[in-house]
Amino acid sequence: MKRSVLLLLAAVWLPVCAAAQTPAPRPNAGMLYWVRCASCHGIEGKGDGEYAGLLSPRPRDFTTGRYKFRTTETGSLPTDEDLARSITDGLHGSSMPGWRGVLSAEQVQALVEQVKSFSPRFASEQPRPIAMGPEPPSTPQAIEAGRGVYEKLKCAACHGTDGRGASAIARDLKDDWGRPTRATNLDEPWAFRGGSGVRDIFLRFRTGMNGTPMPSFIDAASESELWQLASYVKSIGRKPLWEMKGDEVAAFYRARDEEDRKDPVKRGEYIANISGCVQCHSPYREDNTMIEELKLAGGQRFRITPFGDFVAYNLTSDKETGLGDWTDEQIKTFVTTGVRRDGSRMLPFPMPWPNFAHMSASDLDALVAFLRSLPPVSNRIPPPQAPNIFSYLAGKFRMLILHEDQPLYMFPGNAGSWTDGARP
Amino acid sequence: MKRILAWLGVVVVVLAAAGFVAFLYFIPPFTLVKPEEFSRPMGTAGPDLTKISDPTERMLAERGHYLVTLGSCSDCHSTPGPQGPRIGDMYLAGGFKATRKGHGTYVSSNLTSDQATGIGSWTDEDLKRVLRSGQSPDGTSVPGHLMPWPAYSHLTDEDLHAIVVYLRRTAPIVHAIPKATEASFTDPTAYEEDYAGVDYAAPPK
Repeated sequence: MKRSVLLLLAAVWLPVCAAAQTPAPRPNAGMLYWVRCASCHGIEGKGDGEYAGLLSPRPRDFTTGRYKFRTTETGSLPTDEDLARSITDGLHGSSMPGWRGVLSAEQVQALVEQVKSFSPRFASEQPRPIAMGPEPPSTPQAIEAGRGVYEKLKCAACHGTDGRGASAIARDLKDDWGRPTRATNLDEPWAFRGGSGVRDIFLRFRTGMNGTPMPSFIDAASESELWQLASYVKSIGRKPLWEMKGDEVAAFYRARDEEDRKDPVKRGEYIANISGCVQCHSPYREDNTMIEELKLAGGQRFRITPFGDFVAYNLTSDKETGLGDWTDEQIKTFVTTGVRRDGSRMLPFPMPWPNFAHMSASDLDALVAFLRSLPPVSNRIPPPQAPNIFSYLAGKFRMLILHEDQPLYMFPGNAGSWTDGARP
Repeated sequence: MKRILAWLGVVVVVLAAAGFVAFLYFIPPFTLVKPEEFSRPMGTAGPDLTKISDPTERMLAERGHYLVTLGSCSDCHSTPGPQGPRIGDMYLAGGFKATRKGHGTYVSSNLTSDQATGIGSWTDEDLKRVLRSGQSPDGTSVPGHLMPWPAYSHLTDEDLHAIVVYLRRTAPIVHAIPKATEASFTDPTAYEEDYAGVDYAAPPK
C-alpha cells in the first residue's frame, strides 16, 4: 500500500519537476507582433494598422525595408541593433513607446526578426554599417564652425535659418509614400525621434533618414564637418518649458500665442487633433482602420441609450453636405453652445460642447481657419435617430430609476451618403 | 361592494402604470441642470488653481486644466451619475464604461492624485507614455478607439508636461476601478503565455 502511494506521488511529481526544468519556450514572434505592434503597424507590416490614419508621424511601413534611424550607409538596411534600439528605447515625441521593462531582450529579438520578415530585402541584402571615428569634444569653436557647415549644406532651405522652419524655402515636403511631411523643428531637441545626443544628431546627417527628404550629407561634407554641424544643431535647442521659471513661462506662452496668430491653420489643426475632432468626425471600417478618404468628413455613428443614434457631422468645406455654407459665427456658436443653425440645441454629447465652451477666442478662430482649409468631400449626414418608444422608456427607466449608467457604443462604417466609387 | 372595490383597485393600478409610463416619457433626461448651463460646471471643476503659491506651477496647471477641458477627459473619467458625469464631486475619479465592437467594454480609470486607486503612484513618464501610446506601465494597453490616445498623441511634450502638472494637483478621491474583464486583450501578457510555443504560419485575424 505504502509503496503504491509513493509510486503514485512519484508519477505525479517527476513530470512536474521535468516541466519546471524545461527552458522557457521561445517567444512566439507572430503573436507578440500581433498583440504589441499590429494595431499601428498593421498585421502585414504595411504601416496601415487601425490607428495609422490618426497618428503623426505615421507608423513605419516595414515592407520596403526603409528606416530612418540607422547606423548604416544611406539606402542600406538597418542592423539588428538599430531595430532593437528603436523598439527598446522608443522614438521620442512619437506614439512609438519604449518597450524597456515590458518586453524581455529575447522578446525584442524575436520582434526584430518578425519585423525583418516583412521585407524581402533582408533575405538578399546585408546591412552596410558606416565606419565612424570617436565623438570629438563639442567645443565653442566646433559649434561656430558648425554654423558655417549649416550654411554650406543649405540646411536652412528646409529647416529655416533659425532652425524652426520659419524662413524655409522648401515647404511642400513629401515622404517616399507621397504623404506630406515637415522638416524637424531643430529648436526642440527633446522631440528628435532618434535621440538628442550629439552622436544621434551626427548619425542623421551621416546616414540620412531613408524614406524622408532628409538625405545623407557624407558626399557633400567631411566627417569632421558633420560632427561640427551636430554640435551646432545641438546648441540651437532652446530651454524646455519644464526648466523654465516664473516670467519665462509667461513669456513662452505669450510668444507662442503670437506665433500661432501668424499661422492659424497649423494652430487649428493642432486644436482639432487634440480635442478629438479628427478622431470622432472620421469613419472607420469593420477592422477599425480609418476610411481615410473621409477624414473629417463625418459618418461615424454613436449610440447613447436612451437618447438614440448620432452621426458625426461632415466638417469639410463642402457646400451641400459640409460646413461650406456655414458662417464663421454659426460654426463657433455650434462648437461652444451646441445650438444648431435652426436654433435647436443638441444634447451635451456625443460632441462635448460644454467643454469646448471654454475654448479661447484665438483657438476658436484658428479652428475655424483650419476647417475652412479642408478640401470639400461630399458626405451627407443623416439627422439624429431616436430609438423606438419601448427602448426609449426602458432606457430611461434604467437611467433615472435604477441609476444604471449606459455605455457608449461606436459603430464601424460610414453612416453618410458617401460610397466607394461614387466619386471620381 | 367587494366587486366595486376590486374594480377600483384595477383602475388605480392601471392609472398608476399609465402615469408612470407618461412620467418616464415626459420627464426631461436632465432634471437638475438646464442645457444652457451644462458648460458652467466645467469652468469651476477640479482644484482651485488660484491657491497654488508658486507662479510657475500655477501657470502650468492652468494650461493643463485648459488642455484637460479641451480633451474632454472629464466626460469619460468622471464617475457617471443619473445626471451625466459627476463633475462636481467625482471629477476625474473614473468608472465610465465604453464599448466598441472588436474591443469589448472598458471602464475609465481614476485620474485623481490618490496613491492607491488613482495615478498618484505613476511617474510623469508613465503618464506621458499612456497619453501618447495607450501603453500602461504594467504592460497592459487600452484601445485607442475607446481612450482616444491617438488624438492626444499630437500633444507637444510641453503641453503633456502641463497636463501632468495639473493632474498632480487634483484632489485625491479614493475610488477603486475594477479591471476590465470582458475584453480578452486587456492583459496581452496573459494572452502571450496561453500561446507561448505555438507557431502560427500567419497571425490569426
